[in-house]
Amino acid sequence: MRTPVSLLSLAALLVASCQAKLSIKAGKATISGADATVTHTVNLEPSKTAQLKLAADETFKMVFTVFDDEKNVDVMPHQAFLRFWDEQTEDEGIVPVKVARDGKARFSMNIRKPPIGLPPTTGDPLKVSLILGSFTYEGAVMPLFDITLPPSGSVPPHPDEASYHPQPEIFHTFRPDQKLPPKPISFVFAAYTLAPWLVLIGFLAKLPISLTPTTKTIPFITCLAAFEGLLIWYWVDLYLGQVLTYGAALGLLTVVAGKRALSA
Amino acid sequence: MAPPKTHQVSSQSTTTVIQGLWKTYVDDTPSKLKTIDAFLVFIMLSGIMQFVYCVIVTNFPFNAFLAGFSSAVGQFVLTASLRSQVNPLNKDLFKAVNPQRAFADFALGSIVLHFFVYNFLG
Repeated sequence: MRTPVSLLSLAALLVASCQAKLSIKAGKATISGADATVTHTVNLEPSKTAQLKLAADETFKMVFTVFDDEKNVDVMPHQAFLRFWDEQTEDEGIVPVKVARDGKARFSMNIRKPPIGLPPTTGDPLKVSLILGSFTYEGAVMPLFDITLPPSGSVPPHPDEASYHPQPEIFHTFRPDQKLPPKPISFVFAAYTLAPWLVLIGFLAKLPISLTPTTKTIPFITCLAAFEGLLIWYWVDLYLGQVLTYGAALGLLTVVAGKRALSA
Repeated sequence: MAPPKTHQVSSQSTTTVIQGLWKTYVDDTPSKLKTIDAFLVFIMLSGIMQFVYCVIVTNFPFNAFLAGFSSAVGQFVLTASLRSQVNPLNKDLFKAVNPQRAFADFALGSIVLHFFVYNFLG
């Protein structure tokens, strides 16, 4: 019975603590020259945005303390980042800030050895905001200051850059369409191709055979003619499935008729 | 004078041989076989005509040429096999196949050939 009660109280505490918001106090930013003399100091407040300028040989240092603004207790957040944002090019960089257990944070930056998360700079001021995150407190994003850094050098082109541009357009040359020969030639050669029929008719007329069908052979010959008709129909209109179905039915008829026609 | 005479004799003998062959064919061949032979000549002429057209004029619908020419060739083969099967002189070679059976095979083969030809005609 004790465990559920303690769990309930822990949950209530979490809910209560989640209402508390993180904030910073005693924030100070300094810019010191090459010889370590401080040239510029500014107090950081969550509501005010200071304008800073950092030259190539100068060092930027910042200190602040994170605290819970409800209970006024210094806390260590789980995450603390500085976000550098260029409004013109919409480049963004995130640089983590180390916060000690007592809530005190220190950050320093020198352009000669810039932090890895810094975005490419153009000479326009970068808007810097602090992002705090915590499991037990409500996180906070607060704009701190604008800083103008020296412009970064240009990026060398990637060795594969050239293959990512549009290639020259391909134009295919197609063989011209084949043409039919002129109609008179087609007619003449059609007549030539049908001429062997005349030869066949001549031969059959001369031969002493009877081409008249008898009652025995008529059904078979009709079925064969019907097959030829079915094939011509298939040529102009039918599909394969249909012609095979009709052909199978007609085939049965032909077999029956053929047996009768060819029987002795 | 000898060489021209032998030449004359040989050419004379060639024509004599051909005439004798033709006479034997006309006299001795049954009329059914002559019918089949007429059909064979017809198929051969059709095939030759189609081939000549393809070579001289154009092979443009090439599938049509192939369909027509292959139908001529296929039909020639089927008819030639029918002729050899129904020839009374070949009766000993084809003991299991009687002429009616040969004709039925010929009809079936022709139908199937025509089906494939129409398929390819386009």
